[in-house]
This record gives sequence, structure tokens and C-alpha cells, in this order.
Amino acid sequence: MSKKVLVVDDDPDVRSFVVTVLEENGYIPLVAHDGVEGLEKIQADQPDLVILDVLMPRGSGIRLYRHLKTDEALKDLPVIMFTGIALRSFLKSQKALEEFNGEVPKPDIYLEKPVEPEELVRAIETKIG
Amino acid sequence: MTANKILIVDDEEIIVRLLSMSLRSDGYETVTAGNGEEALKVLEAESPDIVVTDIKMPVMDGLELLKRIKKIDAEKEVIIVTGHGDIDSTITALQYGASDFINKPVRDEALAIALDRAKAKIHIREQLEGYTKNLEVKVAEATEEIRRSANFQRLLIHSSNDAIVAFDNEWKIVVYNPEARRIFDVPAGEVLNKMRIDDLYPSQVAESFKDRAAENPKAHDLPWEEMMLNLKEGKNIPVRFAASVLHENGEFMGIVNFFQDLTEIKRLEKELVQSERLAAVGQTVSGLAHYVKNILIGLKGGSYVVDVGMKKNNTEKLKTGWETIKKNISRVSDLTQDLLTYSKEREPEFEPCSPNEILQDVVTLVRDTAKAQGIEVEATIDPDLGAVIADPRTMHRSLLNLVNNAMDACLDDEDVSKDFLIRVSSYTEPGDILCLEVEDNGCGMDENTLSMLFDPMFSSKGGKGTGLGLLVTGKLVEEHKGRIDTKSELGKGTRFTIRLPFETIARVDERAAKEDKQ
Repeated sequence: MSKKVLVVDDDPDVRSFVVTVLEENGYIPLVAHDGVEGLEKIQADQPDLVILDVLMPRGSGIRLYRHLKTDEALKDLPVIMFTGIALRSFLKSQKALEEFNGEVPKPDIYLEKPVEPEELVRAIETKIG
Repeated sequence: MTANKILIVDDEEIIVRLLSMSLRSDGYETVTAGNGEEALKVLEAESPDIVVTDIKMPVMDGLELLKRIKKIDAEKEVIIVTGHGDIDSTITALQYGASDFINKPVRDEALAIALDRAKAKIHIREQLEGYTKNLEVKVAEATEEIRRSANFQRLLIHSSNDAIVAFDNEWKIVVYNPEARRIFDVPAGEVLNKMRIDDLYPSQVAESFKDRAAENPKAHDLPWEEMMLNLKEGKNIPVRFAASVLHENGEFMGIVNFFQDLTEIKRLEKELVQSERLAAVGQTVSGLAHYVKNILIGLKGGSYVVDVGMKKNNTEKLKTGWETIKKNISRVSDLTQDLLTYSKEREPEFEPCSPNEILQDVVTLVRDTAKAQGIEVEATIDPDLGAVIADPRTMHRSLLNLVNNAMDACLDDEDVSKDFLIRVSSYTEPGDILCLEVEDNGCGMDENTLSMLFDPMFSSKGGKGTGLGLLVTGKLVEEHKGRIDTKSELGKGTRFTIRLPFETIARVDERAAKEDKQ
């Protein structure tokens, strides 16, 4: 059975790219435009992995990430952070948030855009084969 | 009192001796003579201050002596000693200019009083003389001072860095210094006392001075103002000028104008703005790198999708990938455009155009994109606003920029229950100000964001903004001599108002016709 991968990104260019990569490599792509829709899709379609953008309108990338990592039922769902901002900036912003909201596990995989398709596929494979 | 040498003249020796003794004991110095002729000799040798003389004497009597003395020195004090009933002699003595009379026999007190009076007169005369002499010196000094200060003022006016032009009450030019000659480029010989204000100044400037002087004859100084001096042969000189209205006893005497040539200052200012702008572009680079990276992500992703489409002969993929590539190419071209616009000097290109049409164009351009994201865009146009003379590109680019920002503000709003609305409106304000307004009910901005809005490297949109949008808008509007006002409330929305001065076609035509007539 093909595995389902959810792409949460507000940028249609990124969505079409990732969807194509997923299709080419035998995954079933699911898409969401922002964090709110992302959570709905996760609950409705139960993907095997989430590829998540950080900077989305309404801060929903960061919010969804924190939700996924702190929810008992969802914390084992693999997440690939896929974003234009450097890991260092991301961790710094997380650290700032943690001071208020408590610690959140570091991302499993953090990919900085742009990536080669092979790189993305390799990252998915290390998580869900 | 200096007058203390007294000449006593009498033919009776005993009287002479008695008087002499008495006066000496009073502290006077005395000299004596027995008749008029002798007295004249003593007078010459001793130059006494006061003469006391009897009338009746041999050889030369007192009246003759008096006459002679007055001829030599009209100011000399001569006291006449008269006998009883000698009225005729007294009158003659008065006519000859005697100072005083004492009766015979001479009493000490009477003599003392007469002498005191004479001395007082001498004293007053001495003082007067001093004053007169002083006055002459003072007048000479004052004249010299006036000459010097007039010369100083002339030099001051001559060498002033300000151009100074003064008019008399008939608007004839009476002062015209070398700096004025340099600015107006007309030789002083053709100007001074020959030209009137209208001959030298551009007509609208001349008229405005005349109007102001006529409106308020009591007006004094007109404060410094800046203006463009449009001279003959198309020479335009930016100047700062002030005027002083001159009055004397409430009468209008004329006007003096001071001009400062701002050409060099303006050039330096421009250079400064330019170099600041270049520095700003430098600062924006890090923000730009981010933005360019996003474009690269789009291009790489797009070309991958196109590759797959070609390999699989999948038209759908080809189309999607190609759209992505095209979109990002246009982002690169917009960015280049923005950078060029921002880094280069640009004069607005004024032409007849319709702000309402431009506004509708912009709304049409974004309406579908906005709708796809759940945002309504509404145009409210001023139906009375016809064609104006302005730069249509400034309006188009600025409006598009603001509307794009408004869309981002709506997308960034966490309150998804809102019905997002962007209202784009046009209207005019008194003073020929065209207002273009973009109002959204999106996320709004806090004070901090508002204060950095027009800063070079500032973007509130992460990697999705270049930080150039408002910068470019601000520059375009500024070059159009307009301004942008911002009002925003966090969570409620934002309103940007562009205010541009404009001309109407009718008015420009009217003015052209008027100039043709002249």
C-alpha cells in the first residue's frame, strides 16, 4: 500500500513541486493550504508523514508544529520541516516560544528550501521507507 | 571762574587807587589807566577780562574807549561808571554795547554785583563757546561716522552672499548687488534706476510682491520662502527668498528682497538622497537574498514539474510547471523594476490620464486573485473626477502595491471569521489634491510596524516580501510631490491614503492660452 504524505504549504509553487516529487516516487500526495486545514487533513486522512512549511499566514506553520509535537495521539507522526528560513532562525524562534509555552521536541528533519527532489525523497525514505 | 583781571580806568588817581585796593582785597588782579588812550595800551598788553571805566576823562573819554574796545573785541565786558543825570551818555554807552552801569560814587557792593554779573556772562560765553566748538567736532565726527557706515553698508550689500534687490515706492530698482547680478544675469548698469520690478522679476513673482504690498501696506517682513525662479531663456534657479517692506513715518518706501541661490544646496541634497538611497538598497540586499531564494525555489520546483510532465507526456504537469516558471519570471522582472525604480532618479512623467480608470484597472487586475483567497475588492470612485495631468505610472504602481499589501494583510489575519474587504477609492480634497485610498479590514499593524513601514530593509512578510514595495511607492509619491498617510489598528485593518497634487487639462490649456497672448 502506498503511503500518504501531506504537504502543508501556502505557496502553490511549492505544493505542485512536492506533489510531483511524491507522485514520481510512489507516494500518495495530500495537500493543505495552511496549518488549520493541515490539522483537519491529518485528522481526516491520517497521513503517514507531514511535510510542513514554517512561515504561513496566521503563524499557522509554527502553531501546527507545536500542536503535532505536544498532542499525545499525534506526537509520533513524522514531520519534515520544509522551509525557506534557516534552521538556526527556526530554533531561535522556537526557543523564544518555549520560554512561555514549555519545551517542544526538535524537528525530526529540517530541510531548507530549495532542495533537490532526491534530497526530499531521501528525507521521506529515512522516516517511512 | 577765570575772569579775574580787571582794568580800572579813571582820571582821578585817588579813585583808581581806592577801587584797585578794594578789588585786590576781594581776590582780583588789577591793572589801571588814567584815560582811554592809556587804557587801550594796557588792554593790549595785559588783556584784562573786565574793564571798569569812567566816562569823563581827558585825551579819550570812556564812551570812545568803549567803542574802540568793542571794535577790537565785541565780547569784552565793559562796565561804565556814570554820574547823576548823565542819561545821554548812558544811552550812548548802551548803544555801544556796555555790559553794565554803576553810579558814582562807586560803592563796593554795587561794583561787586556788576563784576559778578559780568563774570557770569563771561562764564556762560565760555561755556557756549565750548559747546559750539564741541558741536562742530561732534558734527564732523557724526558725518564721518555716517560716511563710514554708509560705506560699510555699501560694502556689506556689495559683498553679501545673498542677492539683494531693493525697490523704491515706485518699484524702481535702487539696490542691485553683484550676487543679484549673478543670479539674474543682467548687468547692473541696465538695472539700477532703470528697470522696474516687472522688468527684472518673472511676472508672477513681481505681481505677488505688488499684491502683497497693496493688500497690507503696513506689512513688514515676509518670511523666508523657497521658490523656483524662472528666468528668461528657460533658466530655472531654485532660491530661498525673503522680503522686508520699508516704511518711513508710516509711508511705504519700498521693498528689499534677499535671495539665496539654492542650486548648490539642492544638488548636494539630491546627492545625499541618492547616496542614502543606494545605502538603503545595500541594506535591503539581505532581505532581497531571501526573496530571490524564494523565486529560485519556485523556478527549480517549476522546472522539475516541467521535466516530469515532458517525461510522462503529462500536459497537466507541463501546464502547472510552466505556470510556476512564468510566475516566477514575472516576479524577477517586478523585482528588477522595483530596484531600478528605487535606485534611480526619476522625474514623474506628467500626462493627461484618468485616475478613476487607473483605479478600475488595478481593481480588475487583482479581483480574481483576491476572490480566490476569500477577499472582496471594491472600487468607490468619485464620479466628478475626470482627466487630470499627473503621472499615471505613479498612480498605477502605487495603487497596485498598496492593494497587494492589503491582500497580504487580510491573509495574515488570524480572525478567519471576518468577511475580508478591500476598498479602493478616489476623491479630491481642496487645493487640487487627488486622493487615492486603499483600506482593508485585515490584520492591521502595531505602532512598531507602522513606524518602520517605509524603512529600507523592513518587511513584515518574512521571505515573501522584498521590503521594497512601500519604499518604491513612497519614492514615487514623493517624486510626484505627494505624500502617503497611514492609519492602522491592530486586528481592525489599515488605510493608506496617497495624496497627489494635480492639474486639470482645462487649467493647463487656459494658462497656455494666456502665455500665448503675452
